[in-house]
Amino acid sequence: MQTPPHTALAVEAVDVTKRYGDLVAVDHLSLSVAPGEVYGILGPNGAGKTTFLRMLFGLIRPDSGTVRVFGRTWADSGVGVLDGVAGFIESPRFYPYLTGRQNLEGLALLDGGDRGSRSRRIEGVLDVVDLAGREGDKVAGYSYGMRQRLGVAASLLRDPRLLVLDEPANGLDPGGIRDMRALVTRLADSGLTVLLSSHHMDEVEEICDNVTIMARGQVAFHGSIGDLRAMAPDPGHLLSTSDDALAVALAREQHPDIAVETDPEGGLVAIGSRERLSAYVADLVRADLELRQFTPTQTPLEALFFMLTDTRTDTRTGTRSAKGAGR
Amino acid sequence: MRRSIISVVLALVAVVAVSGAVLAGTGGGSSVTQARLERSLPTEFANLYSQQARLLGHQGVTPASLQAEAMCDKGGAVEDNVGPGSNWNCLVSWTDPNNPMPPEGYGKFELDVHSNGCYTASGPSKLVGFQTITDRRGAEVTNPVYEFDGCFDPQGDNTPTGVEFPSLVQVTTTALQPSDDGTVSLQLSCGTGVAGCQGTVDAKAGDTDLGTVPFTIPEEQTATVHFPTPVPAGADSVDFTVTVTKGVSSKGPGVPATTTLTLPAG
Amino acid sequence: MTSTTVQRHRAPVVDAAAHRPGLGAALSWESRKLRSQLRTKALLVGAVLAPLAVVVIVHSQPRPPKDTLFGRFATDNGFAMALLVLGFASQWVLPLLTAVVAGDIFASEDQHGTWKTVLTRSTSRSTLFWAKTAVAVAFALVTLALLAASTIAASWLVVGHQPLTGLSGQVVPAHTALALVAGAWASMALPIIGFTCLALLFSVWSRNAAVGIAAPVVLGLVMQLVGALGGIETLRPFLLSTPFEAWHGLLAAPRFTGPLLDSLVTSAGWSVVCLTAAYLILRRRDITGG
Repeated sequence: MQTPPHTALAVEAVDVTKRYGDLVAVDHLSLSVAPGEVYGILGPNGAGKTTFLRMLFGLIRPDSGTVRVFGRTWADSGVGVLDGVAGFIESPRFYPYLTGRQNLEGLALLDGGDRGSRSRRIEGVLDVVDLAGREGDKVAGYSYGMRQRLGVAASLLRDPRLLVLDEPANGLDPGGIRDMRALVTRLADSGLTVLLSSHHMDEVEEICDNVTIMARGQVAFHGSIGDLRAMAPDPGHLLSTSDDALAVALAREQHPDIAVETDPEGGLVAIGSRERLSAYVADLVRADLELRQFTPTQTPLEALFFMLTDTRTDTRTGTRSAKGAGR
Repeated sequence: MRRSIISVVLALVAVVAVSGAVLAGTGGGSSVTQARLERSLPTEFANLYSQQARLLGHQGVTPASLQAEAMCDKGGAVEDNVGPGSNWNCLVSWTDPNNPMPPEGYGKFELDVHSNGCYTASGPSKLVGFQTITDRRGAEVTNPVYEFDGCFDPQGDNTPTGVEFPSLVQVTTTALQPSDDGTVSLQLSCGTGVAGCQGTVDAKAGDTDLGTVPFTIPEEQTATVHFPTPVPAGADSVDFTVTVTKGVSSKGPGVPATTTLTLPAG
Repeated sequence: MTSTTVQRHRAPVVDAAAHRPGLGAALSWESRKLRSQLRTKALLVGAVLAPLAVVVIVHSQPRPPKDTLFGRFATDNGFAMALLVLGFASQWVLPLLTAVVAGDIFASEDQHGTWKTVLTRSTSRSTLFWAKTAVAVAFALVTLALLAASTIAASWLVVGHQPLTGLSGQVVPAHTALALVAGAWASMALPIIGFTCLALLFSVWSRNAAVGIAAPVVLGLVMQLVGALGGIETLRPFLLSTPFEAWHGLLAAPRFTGPLLDSLVTSAGWSVVCLTAAYLILRRRDITGG
């Protein structure tokens, strides 16, 4: 039954469920991540992403279902499941009374391997995450971003084939987010399998090949970013003209394929494909209307993400009716 | 935090439950017994007493020569002689040519015994001296037998030692107070010992015999003996002669002891 | 950020398995963590200095503290002083000393949220459990040894080394007394290991260092109280406070060692039960925090 490690999927979850009392944190989740893939798990907070990742790392035992990592399960391999796997869950945590380097040294001890190579590797990963020079400071004095980077360093120390990052940009300032994304992109480009969880569509959109969107513990979408784009609704735009009433009338008469409604907060909302909107705007200008504002409301994927996760929230009544779109 | 409190409460409940179960299963026996004390106390006393003899410069006293033996009792006749408590009394007899025993043949030690088998004993100061003694060089030193700590083996020999001493009958009234009809009463105490006290008291005021009254007193209790005949007018004192049939008088086994108490003037 | 080492990451799986760290690595890590904590150093320094202060203070009292065993000789006999300190320490100091480390060693991972950090490496929960247990027990024994050595040395130097009057009134010559006093202190190792395991259990169970530290001490005091009560003395052999008194037999004549054997059984029983429970709780636990 067990597939040899070298041909196995990096991650294969089959029908995984975890309950906390009445709350179903993860509800019959199945997903698979191929080696070399950059895989995103998306979902709002509380969707079950972190619970799933904890089960992957063996921190939590699923009530039912199995999680295989490179073909191994916790039941048959114990901590051996984590060979070649690294990452962190939620914000990485360290011993505040030790220095950054001491923390890494300790974790390297728990990874095994010989002393000489450990010390060399620590130098290397400190360089990668740009912490060289601060490694002698106690972690208690580290900023949030530094701890996040130390978390990445601690993961890289394991020379992983699968890197699991849970909301790596969470809590970082814009500069930190940019650096973190650049790092993740670079790691992904180097051929590593990356499993990335996030509640930001754009973070996942840029670098992931496939995504699973989760809501309330269930799969809401399952497939490639391409499939997701195809499902995305037309982009919405906020529109404001010198005569909104005339603009609405114009749309009704000449552009039935786009929807233009009065926005309760003022102005208009126009929804339609990019080309048709351009034609509409050109007509507005031709009709001597002054165009005061024309801005996109959400990216299409963001809109889809909210649609998928919100709808599920609204329609959910306790029955496990609709499974994920990709199943 | 609530979780922690629950943990602690659960732990305590578990301890109490296990304790209850064990108690219910075993009936609550104690390792503090009469026999163990009766073996431990004389040994320790003999060792310490010979230390004291060395301090005082007394010759010929060794732990063995003292031939110390003890009878212990807890709380008199009403309590079983088992278990820890501060109401243990031990009667100890020993042989020291420098310092003979009183007529009853023993001295009474008061013991506070703990459940772990350790005890603190206080010796009778009229026999062993006070807290400090003057050694042969004239220095004030701590008296080793005035008060001392000891421990016995809680699993040690528990067969009865068979050492028995009779209770001491003593007159505890110090001032006679005749009642309205002119009669008198006498209070007697029966000390620690085996089987309690029994005997008679004969009272005489001058030539007038006030009567002979029998008494039976349980161990470690007192009793009042009432004489039916009024004290004649003009008598200034009453002689009470205690004859003991069970127990011992203050003059020794089988010897009647006479106490004279004066009557209040008028 | 440079990218020097990012390129090499295809470590063969077999390699990692071959180098899986053993108990030694976890032991080394746990003891390194313990050694870098301020409280550890403070406890060890305290174990050396506090007895000296206690001995000096008790020695300067006009009246000896007669209500503790050997107290009445403590101001003029160094061995009695060392045994007085022993009797006092065993009431709550020894359980506290070990609980400060053992009660914290698991709970601190919860406090710092670091379970997920250490459990996502290549060391199993069992290995970490036994490493922490071994380190806590070793710390308890080292602390006890320091406390004993310091107490005996301070008593010897400050009060003296006259022959000791034992618990059967016998006079014990100084060299025998030294061995017996050292033996009495050494007999504390058994209940201390028991209390260490109890603190480990509370540490795992409560996930709260305060409970892990305080609960064993409180429980120790409760057990002492229960053990001192009359009428329920059949409980005594089951109480973890009873082994603290097993040394009395060493100072009696003839010596009796039955309580020391009981102490071994009692302490081992508590240790096994507490460790088993702690192990099962940790093994089955979902690590959700941090």
